Amino acid sequence: MGQQLKEIYLYREMLKNLVAKELRARYKGSVLGFFWTFFNPLLMLIVYSLVFSFVMRVQTENYAMFLFVALLPWNYFATSVLQGAASLVQNSSLIKKIYFPREILPLSVVLTNLVNYLLSLFILIPALLIFKVDLTLALIAFPAILIVETLLVASLTFLVAIANVYFRDLEHIMGVLMMAWFFLTPVLYPADLIPQNAKFIFNLNPATPIIEAYRSIFYAGKWPQWDVLGYLTIGLLVLVIISLVVFGRFQKTVAEEI
Amino acid sequence: MANEFFNANVVEIKDLWKKFQVYQDKTISLKERIIFWGRQRTEGFWALRNINLSVPKGKTIGLIGRNGSGKSTLLKIISRILYPTQGEVKVRGKLSTLLELGAGFHPDFTGRENIFLNASILGFTRKEIKEKLNDIVEFAELGDFIDNPVRNYSSGMYMRLGFAVAVHVDPDILLIDEVLSVGDLAFQEKCLTRIQDMQKQGKTIILVTHAPKQVEDLCDIAVWLDHGEAKLQGPAQEVAQAYKEFISGA
Repeated sequence: MGQQLKEIYLYREMLKNLVAKELRARYKGSVLGFFWTFFNPLLMLIVYSLVFSFVMRVQTENYAMFLFVALLPWNYFATSVLQGAASLVQNSSLIKKIYFPREILPLSVVLTNLVNYLLSLFILIPALLIFKVDLTLALIAFPAILIVETLLVASLTFLVAIANVYFRDLEHIMGVLMMAWFFLTPVLYPADLIPQNAKFIFNLNPATPIIEAYRSIFYAGKWPQWDVLGYLTIGLLVLVIISLVVFGRFQKTVAEEI
Repeated sequence: MANEFFNANVVEIKDLWKKFQVYQDKTISLKERIIFWGRQRTEGFWALRNINLSVPKGKTIGLIGRNGSGKSTLLKIISRILYPTQGEVKVRGKLSTLLELGAGFHPDFTGRENIFLNASILGFTRKEIKEKLNDIVEFAELGDFIDNPVRNYSSGMYMRLGFAVAVHVDPDILLIDEVLSVGDLAFQEKCLTRIQDMQKQGKTIILVTHAPKQVEDLCDIAVWLDHGEAKLQGPAQEVAQAYKEFISGA
């Protein structure tokens, strides 16, 4: 695995270029261009706040913000996993012709979405101020939570990317799976809405404590539960190692299978 | 120690076998999977059998043979795109493969932007690319087109840009797969000169071709592959001669 990480480091320029290409190419040719990166979350915010303050009036105070602080990191997670599933198969012409550490492809998907998430904060923070949510010192916990989330996103993206090469149906199954996962994670609803007797199942979901942590620093203005995040980090580090080993093991025949 | 360094083989292939799984003409459906559960549904196809090859530093090796003889497979195994079924391959030094020109070019980006993209895919750092940028631009002979999006290029221009990047990366070992027929005659001539320059600089080159003339002109050693086996292996002139006779006889 050390060798694997070293190779990825040697190809960091490729990784950087792929991320830059993805970010710039996505909106190329459109009139607003790169500004779409900001307009997308802004429009999403406008729609949600209109729907939930005028049409469907939810009891939760400031529901649009309650939702928005959780939805943005969820999108980072879900989009990465879904795009990551196709990342190797889509780049088959590159894989068949050139040697490079194959990990670069799913990793570039994760980093692209990470950057997109970070850029959406330029919409989120002003929105929180406008909706009069108190921003507190707890915001400095953000990088830590982001790293924990990225461990989860990266390891799952590695696993689905390599699995999809051998089992193409996965790409299509993932759409439904991620939707189910979305509803099983307290993004739309607060975590205390989960019935007590189902709690232990929900606790197995690694996305729950991450979403909760974001909500607590952005929305509630409180520090996240450090002990929970600590345990989660240990578990996720194990998952990262497993995913790299599995990826390394199966990537050898990738060029023949796609 | 110094002596050992100069005599070292930069590529060493021992007892290499490569088997491909040949699937039936269509993908296997769930129904068939259940019906033929546990029974073998693929048969192996040996693309390479018992290949042994040592490439001394600074030499040029030609791999010659007809279509489907396993030349490209061997090249891909050396460059780690494919992995051997049996046997081992050892490579010492930085390796660059010219299997495809313009890999990863994005049509909407300019020629200059694509140089950075393409060279980074070949494993180069930003600093190395910047140092070479002017040489690459000059070599490609694209004039003002270098700052136009690649989608406006003719296929010849596209190839020229790809080749310019590929030959300016500075590997110890260069693998070339039948890409010497790029562009017009003048440009081909330039490419050959470039390869001869690299030979003079002491680079090791492995060249795949089906033209015996290229083997005679460029190579020191040649391997004639036939149905995955090394039919003849030795000095380039000898192998090229034998291959020519075989072709005209067949």
